Amino acid sequence: MIYYAMQRFLLSVLIVIVAISALTLMLHVVPGDPATMMLGARATPELIEQTRVAMGLDQPLPVQIVTFFGRILQGNLGTDVFTGRDVSDIVFEQLPYTLVLIAVSILWSATLGIVLGCYSALRAGTWLDTLLGILSVGTISIPAFVMALYAVLIFAVSLDWLPAIGAGQGFFGGAVHLILPAFAIGISWVGYVARMVRASMLEVMGAPHVRMARSFGLTEARIVRVYILKIAVQPAVTLLGTGVAHLFSAAVFVEVIFARPGIGALIVSSVNERNYPVVLGAVLVTTAIIVLATLVSDLVVALLDPRQREAL
Amino acid sequence: MTKTKTVSMASAALGRRTFLKGAASTCLFAATMPLGSRIWAQSGQTLRLSAYADIDALDPAFYQNGYNVDVMNCIYTKLIRYKEGREWDWELESAEEIEQVDDTHIRFKLKQGLQFSGGYGEITAEDVKFSFERAILHDSPVKSDWGPLDHVEVTGRYEGVIVLKEPFQPIWTIALPYGTGHIVSKKAVLDATDDGGNFGMTPPVFSGAYVLAEWKPNQYVRLTRNPAWTGPAPGFDEIRILPMDDTKTAERAYEAGGLDFTQITLSSLAQYRQDPPANTTIKEYPSLSYVWLGMNLDNPALQDKNLRQAIQYAINVKQIVDAAYFGEAEPATGLIAPGLPGHRDHSAIPVEGDLDKARAFLEAAGGPPSQPLTIDALNATVWTTMAQIIQAQLGQVGIPTQINVQDSGSFWTLGMESEGDRWKNMQLVLNRFSMLPDPYYATSWFVSDQVGVWNWERFSNPEFDKLHEQALRETDPDKRAALYRQMQGIMEQSGAYRFLTHEGNPVMYRDSLEPALRPDGLPLLPRFSGSV
Repeated sequence: MIYYAMQRFLLSVLIVIVAISALTLMLHVVPGDPATMMLGARATPELIEQTRVAMGLDQPLPVQIVTFFGRILQGNLGTDVFTGRDVSDIVFEQLPYTLVLIAVSILWSATLGIVLGCYSALRAGTWLDTLLGILSVGTISIPAFVMALYAVLIFAVSLDWLPAIGAGQGFFGGAVHLILPAFAIGISWVGYVARMVRASMLEVMGAPHVRMARSFGLTEARIVRVYILKIAVQPAVTLLGTGVAHLFSAAVFVEVIFARPGIGALIVSSVNERNYPVVLGAVLVTTAIIVLATLVSDLVVALLDPRQREAL
Repeated sequence: MTKTKTVSMASAALGRRTFLKGAASTCLFAATMPLGSRIWAQSGQTLRLSAYADIDALDPAFYQNGYNVDVMNCIYTKLIRYKEGREWDWELESAEEIEQVDDTHIRFKLKQGLQFSGGYGEITAEDVKFSFERAILHDSPVKSDWGPLDHVEVTGRYEGVIVLKEPFQPIWTIALPYGTGHIVSKKAVLDATDDGGNFGMTPPVFSGAYVLAEWKPNQYVRLTRNPAWTGPAPGFDEIRILPMDDTKTAERAYEAGGLDFTQITLSSLAQYRQDPPANTTIKEYPSLSYVWLGMNLDNPALQDKNLRQAIQYAINVKQIVDAAYFGEAEPATGLIAPGLPGHRDHSAIPVEGDLDKARAFLEAAGGPPSQPLTIDALNATVWTTMAQIIQAQLGQVGIPTQINVQDSGSFWTLGMESEGDRWKNMQLVLNRFSMLPDPYYATSWFVSDQVGVWNWERFSNPEFDKLHEQALRETDPDKRAALYRQMQGIMEQSGAYRFLTHEGNPVMYRDSLEPALRPDGLPLLPRFSGSV
């Protein structure tokens, strides 16, 4: 298990390096000069060139990549070309908002999805199962940004129950401002998880060890909890691990619609401004988080399933 | 005592049914009451509005973009400021008097007793000199706002003379009342920066009605009253500016009660006019920005003036504006918007175009180009819509086109020589420049020096350049306006431009608010009053 974890960790580091190198390459292939964007329309060509040199943009690409990783090893993500602030300050200021948003979205959608998936599997073939199936597929097919727009229009504009914009202040303010964005992002995951758990449970319910448990006279509740759900939930855990990347993508739209601070909105605006240091710093951190989430989900699955552990 | 007893009895009798009934009633009550307005109620004297981007430059000598200047207007003072209302004019702010002594000398006298924050003392003529000269001394990207500024001569504690190398009319319309005209403390800036250079996002001192109390990047800017301010008291204790790069988001935020003032999109205007949010005033203002279709004169496919004129005449501007701006913007007659000196009542080419003339020019050009011409446009709906209509209109006379949509970072360096050879392949480009309230600001991008920088049409005309210089120095307003009208005529005659629109700038705000707005609808925040 420890060897497996080490192996996965090294692989994760490699993935981050490849991702950042590819991104650096892409940023330099696309047109758009950060110095020009920073200095505005009236800067002289000489001043633009001076700024490019000061930013290291006159260096060959491999040198820029090596310099970037060299700085990372020193804990320095660079400097924002517009405000002159440390990129690490900017990224770590925005990151908690997105992480909390994603964590809350996963938490509520996974909890509800597992409950609904179980319920559907246990009542497979009934009208309720059919209804839940339709609702699940319905929620899966609605993009997060559409849900976000309607959530704002209904709950903030028409009903005036919840705030429409911002991240709020204090614990209560923050929690209240999270409701609509987390709802918009999480709703389609309820459907995903429910369908996944249902299918997985139906498969496990017919497994020999479950039949054996029944023959021993164990209660149905205990069989479901201990012998079925523990196995049936594994595909959902894997799905959620890999789904963190999708949740980051969904967070981009939702942060814009709700005018929330966050890493997604930061990356979008920085790409538009060709603010390379911020783009690279933000993508480095998000890539690391996504890779870490995948790693954690694999380890959780391994912990839940002895067969997986033995196979490592 | 009795009351306590009753409660106690009720608690004792609380069973499952009672609990469910109570919970249901509570939920029903919660559902029907406007929680948003109760729990997140705005404080009495906090003005909340949106900005299309977060602040990123607070040093007036190095300012960029209007959203930074909106904040600077609050935290620094300046000698003169724009008047609110429907006509462009200026009025005194920290100057007690100011006058143009001759073509190159402007004498000013500061009001006495104006204080900097943080114990930096009184604002003096020495601070004015330092504030104005540092843009040039430190080679600021916006030093051109000062034009031929030579120096500021201090003649007394509160008095001085701004000395220009040659006459420069935009000093009254751009330099003094806008970004670079803000006054900072010499001592405070030198303490903070050593050399008096750019202090970026950390103002060492405030001289305006407000101070920057808090900046939470991508969340809000919070401005509170400046205790050292001795001028007229501002209307609100606090101003909170929320960055929202999508104006539609700002509209929804306003509707939900999260903002008191916001700009609105032209696409939403008709709907808001018909069904405005509660207690809301909607007002429409003309914008100064200008939108045009440019043609790259150095591209081999566009060498023939007849072809360019065919394109000019094939374009029906009214159709484009109606479709892309939902009929809420007016066609443009040139670069210079109504209300500014040099605005033209009519363009040489009719707004509706003329298909017969277009066909005749095309025939004179030897027929349509063999390869489709490219139209470069930004990747937003309004631009793609315009590009598609232009494509259809040019198609009517047989000119094939292809639309290239680009993100802002890529688009805004398209015609720059410093960005490689992309400018060589650029043919037609759908462009929009924002504008400050002086015609010089519009024509300055199209002089020969700007070819390959911001002059993407690569239009170079010695007469135009000469007129541009002449207009900078012309002190007679009528003669100056005539020069700018002549210059727009030259641009149009080159066949490189089809002027499309100046867009529009509608705003909405709470009825109880009394906003102070520039003639183009942009806010002058320290002068907002009323209640929210």
